[in-house]
Amino acid sequence: MLVEFDQIQKAQSGDGVAFNQVVVAYRKRILGTIARLIGRPEDVEDVAQEVFLRLYYSLDQLRTPEVFEPWLYRLTVNASYDYLRKQRRRNEARMSDLSEQQVMMADAAAGGRISNEEHRQKQVKDLVESLLDSVSEQDRILLTLKEVEGLSLKELEKIYGVNENALKVRLFRARQRVLNAFEANQKARTAKPAEPKS
Amino acid sequence: MEHPDNNPRNDELGALFAEYKSVVRDPEPSANFMPQLWRRIEARQNTLFRVKRISQMFVAAAAAICILFATMLAVPNRAEVSSSYVDVLAQAYPTENLASHGILLDEADGK
Repeated sequence: MLVEFDQIQKAQSGDGVAFNQVVVAYRKRILGTIARLIGRPEDVEDVAQEVFLRLYYSLDQLRTPEVFEPWLYRLTVNASYDYLRKQRRRNEARMSDLSEQQVMMADAAAGGRISNEEHRQKQVKDLVESLLDSVSEQDRILLTLKEVEGLSLKELEKIYGVNENALKVRLFRARQRVLNAFEANQKARTAKPAEPKS
Repeated sequence: MEHPDNNPRNDELGALFAEYKSVVRDPEPSANFMPQLWRRIEARQNTLFRVKRISQMFVAAAAAICILFATMLAVPNRAEVSSSYVDVLAQAYPTENLASHGILLDEADGK
């Protein structure tokens, strides 16, 4: 826990200062999780604020401060899921819809200002995000929490409120789909003919 | 279906996920994060307050209408029926019209 139980209890009773302290303690972690869940840096703060907004209005429903963290993760999962669903509905791939970071990277690449390391990091990011796009929003979030955030099955059980076996089955299927997409991607890469030399 | 553990690409995928975490680091919150959050909280509070006030007005109006209808039903009708059923029937079917319906009254019965 990043904050004391009594701070959460004070926030529950409407203490604005205590709520502020709770937000300050958790915001960086939540921002990081959302950044990896949604993959669009320019919208991370907006989704994080939605999480804390929901926290503010539902804090009185929290029965015990011990379950605060899984509960905050559940709010994060729900807000990220809502965001991803809206994004998928748009389903546009125009330049104006690319993330700011992607545009900056494209500009930098065009100007030859991007280093090899940055280029490799961009490739990893793009590859993982395209792999995660091959599964549903729910599976993307579940897989990211397990594989990227490193949450245990017990923690996921508390967040989702379903038993471990059901989670294992969902994770297995999601990972299998991502693995298939990964294999297809690797095959396509190796099968790609070399560019003719000028 | 092949178990992912048996797949040679499985470790590669695991490593890729781990690398993704190091590539997408926890971003620093902007200086505007907290003020903007409180603005959103206050905006939501105002909306909730307005919705609450409108619903209170609606409930009050509905209660007033209910009371009005209840009063209308409770107050007895002024045009009360003062005559009996037989009198009303006699008024509706005067003796001279009964013959046209095939009803003939005995002289002894009179009226």
